[in-house]
Amino acid sequence: MTAVLPAPTARAWAIGAPRLLAGLDRHATLDHTAHLAVHGPLPHLDRARLTALLDDIALTGRGGAGFPFAAKLRATTREHGTVVVNGSESEPASFKDRTLLRRAPHLVLDGALAVAAAIGARRVTVAVHDPAAAAAVTQAIRQRRDAARAGVERVDGGFVAGEARALVRRLGGGPAMPPGRRVHLTERGVLASNAETFAQVAVATRLGARRFRDTGTHAEPGTTLLTIGGAVSRPGVVEIPLGTPLGIVLAAAGAADPQAIVAGGYHGSWHAPLPQLRLARDGITLGAGVLLVLDGSTCALGELARVTAWLAAQSTRQCGPCQFGLPALARDVAALAAGAAAALPAAQRHAHLVDGRGTCHHPDGAAQFVTSGLQLLQSEIDRHLAHGGCGRPVRGLLEVPS
Amino acid sequence: MKSLDVDWTRCDGHGLCAELLPDRITRDDWGFPVIAPIAVADEDNTSVRRAVALCPALALRITTR
Repeated sequence: MTAVLPAPTARAWAIGAPRLLAGLDRHATLDHTAHLAVHGPLPHLDRARLTALLDDIALTGRGGAGFPFAAKLRATTREHGTVVVNGSESEPASFKDRTLLRRAPHLVLDGALAVAAAIGARRVTVAVHDPAAAAAVTQAIRQRRDAARAGVERVDGGFVAGEARALVRRLGGGPAMPPGRRVHLTERGVLASNAETFAQVAVATRLGARRFRDTGTHAEPGTTLLTIGGAVSRPGVVEIPLGTPLGIVLAAAGAADPQAIVAGGYHGSWHAPLPQLRLARDGITLGAGVLLVLDGSTCALGELARVTAWLAAQSTRQCGPCQFGLPALARDVAALAAGAAAALPAAQRHAHLVDGRGTCHHPDGAAQFVTSGLQLLQSEIDRHLAHGGCGRPVRGLLEVPS
Repeated sequence: MKSLDVDWTRCDGHGLCAELLPDRITRDDWGFPVIAPIAVADEDNTSVRRAVALCPALALRITTR
């Protein structure tokens, strides 16, 4: 489990034996021949067997929400539906889905085609924003004979536009915004999940439940992809067994002086870098699979303020509490970083006020990000209140798109 | 269980619902409704349904879950 595979070609590596990233140490991109050589042929499973397998391995969606994938299969009862591979990867710090789509597109297609065959879906739509990913998947579809029902759609790159319901609305010709009513996509015959989820399906159909469970934890078997960034000497995409202790991942990524981590992306949460914390739901929730490391070289509170301002700008301004509440929250955090004591209770109150009050989870996610940050950065906040700052620059280790 | 719910994509924060149902609905800093987590019982039906019907943005609704 502590063996680290070197990856000469790109910033993709693994702790333990890679599954999704298998072969990428030797190939820049796995074409269909190389893909079959690395992974073997794709077994056919009917609906009942695939559902049982997914139940057995307790596979959850890898886009952030963590919904049980077998339940989606069960809920999609309508014939001739559509399988949507959400490869929009709108989480700014995340690069794992693009890595899969660019370098192992056949694995993602395998999973989507296996699900489509099992539920009798007529179409497979791979929704991507990244041009290189779109090109790789398009080429992969041409390389195989079993992908006639698959196609690529380019979609917007906005943070909220990547939410599954917004994405499907956009694919149907509407705006890339979440609808106001609760929509169960599966009732409309649409089974949508994140690109990595389908790659996991492709791996599972080949391994079977027992071998899939050879790694990971009992509750969460298998591996997961993480995008690691921030103050590390080996940033990139890494495949780890679920439940790996944080300390091992940080050491492998070359985090010399971790002071705080942000897990799950910008809808995720801040944690102290305790080495024994496990990367699993009962430890650190991984959300969209992002792990960002902050060291002592940057002003953590300033980093928090910067991302909060970005989150506020991502509101689609459909829902009042998000439209007005997130900018208020961003002003609070900025004022706090500048040393205004009254800004702390104001931020806590505004975070509470936006939580759960939107049609999508953007305000909830932003509230969690800020609340957990404020909680962790207590001593930083004290320093800022006492001196009007901490004297460190805001280096932008938490990257936001400009 | 029935409860009051807001379609946030429609709500413009007119505030009529808070006037009509002061026990259930207050308004936040920007005028948008804050709904108390109280179930809608059968005896509340008349007043609650009236507020739902009068919402100028058709954003207030009763949902069953």
